[in-house]
Amino acid sequence: MALLEVTNLFAGYGKVEVISGISFNLESGKSIGIVGPNGVGKSTLLQAIAGSISTKTGTVTFDGKKITGKKPEDIVRLGLCLVPEGRQIFSGLSVKENLALGLTGRQNKKGAKEIVSKMHDLFPVLSTHENHQAGMLSGGQQQQLAIARALISEPKVLLLDEPSLGLSPTVITDVFDRLKEIINLGTSVVIVEQRANLVTTFAEQTIVIRDGKVQATLTPADAANSDSLQRSYFGAGK
Amino acid sequence: MIQSVLDAISLGGLYSLAALGLGLVFGVMRLVNFAHAELITIAAYTLVLTTQYPLLVSISFALIVTAFIALLMEFTIYRRLRGVNPAIMLIASFGLSTVLQRLYELMFGALPKSAVVAPFLRGDFKFFGVSITISSVITIVLTITILLLMGYIVEKTSLGLQLRAASADFKTARLLGVRSNRLIGAAFALSGVLATFVALILVIQNPQVSPYYGLNITILSLVGIVIGGIASLRGAAMGGFIVGVVLSALNTLLGNGRVYAYSWLFILVLIILLVRPGGLLSKGSELERV
Repeated sequence: MALLEVTNLFAGYGKVEVISGISFNLESGKSIGIVGPNGVGKSTLLQAIAGSISTKTGTVTFDGKKITGKKPEDIVRLGLCLVPEGRQIFSGLSVKENLALGLTGRQNKKGAKEIVSKMHDLFPVLSTHENHQAGMLSGGQQQQLAIARALISEPKVLLLDEPSLGLSPTVITDVFDRLKEIINLGTSVVIVEQRANLVTTFAEQTIVIRDGKVQATLTPADAANSDSLQRSYFGAGK
Repeated sequence: MIQSVLDAISLGGLYSLAALGLGLVFGVMRLVNFAHAELITIAAYTLVLTTQYPLLVSISFALIVTAFIALLMEFTIYRRLRGVNPAIMLIASFGLSTVLQRLYELMFGALPKSAVVAPFLRGDFKFFGVSITISSVITIVLTITILLLMGYIVEKTSLGLQLRAASADFKTARLLGVRSNRLIGAAFALSGVLATFVALILVIQNPQVSPYYGLNITILSLVGIVIGGIASLRGAAMGGFIVGVVLSALNTLLGNGRVYAYSWLFILVLIILLVRPGGLLSKGSELERV
């Protein structure tokens, strides 16, 4: 059984339907990318899985349990954590306090010090700036903080919404190197990105969303074929 | 002069406590809870109606009753309105405020209920030949103690951290595991506790409790929250303090013209809002690099 199963999921805002019948499975310790042009429902999909917006129909099963309709604070305790678009760190709080908030979603309250120290090892910049206001960190540092804060809950699945947004190419490489380490440590990752090439290379499987539906499924081999990538991304004939 | 300064500080502290109670709820729900006035009122009624008991027992009664009403408000009305337009929540809080005022009128009558609360705190004492009222000193000590305690809760505890995070971005806080019902419930209960201490200080000074008893201080505390910075607890406390101090100073300085104190206060508020529309703490407290 897959760790995360999304089946025929419909979600949106009010009467506006943004995603229409999306299905995919994520195995334990694997990564899946989600790409597509602006406004096709990538972020909505992640938010629907994380419980941040309500779904209309369809199911999300996580670790054998149906989580559709559950509150986000309960879903994170089950082991599924979303790093939202734009990082959404608490800029008025210190780096240390941001990390401490990550402890809220831990099922196991023991080992808090160890996991914080592990995050400092994984993201050394956070220990340097521990007492600084998070809003004063650079974009890349903030992204690392957002990922570390989510990892502190020791999720089995990490949902990442556009982690490269607003970052320079060097910083993006750094962030994705860290993500590889995280996957190697056993956390499964669902990553939403605008940069199709980057994520197709990174993830074991990438789904392309257009008009709220899955249009194609790509593998890292497809990253080299820019025509195929463009066709999947923009649709036939473009 | 010394008494005037003490009065200004004690009034500032009192408004600061009231503003903090309002700010706690606003932070987590984006709700300007006008019915906070009725929390102060019910606490004041409980205090004046239980004077036959020792003061600590009376305060305990008031704390329990007020926190219970605060939680009941949240559970029966505001929980059902979560996520709706803030304007609808505001109207709902007006409605709840009016309903509770009528309910108090039915329960306790339209005429004020009166009883001397903590008679040992009335009167004055001499300090270097200057006469100082005991109540103003007690108010300052009590206010400082409660503000320090609240400061500790907000700055040093996990609950406080969650309150600060939720005030900044509740959606993200929930994604990290902050339990919305529990946190909002805690904010309402704390606002009830603060309302009780505000009522305690008020009834020591003025034990004539009517159904509208908490209204005036609540409205002026809301003004304090706006000038301090509506999104920050520190701003709320500071704004409340400023309003109290300025009002007290105006009452002293204007002499016979004190009937215009509110007019001058609101002129000052308008000037502050024109210069710093987000409130006095809107800049500088939360620096952003990107």
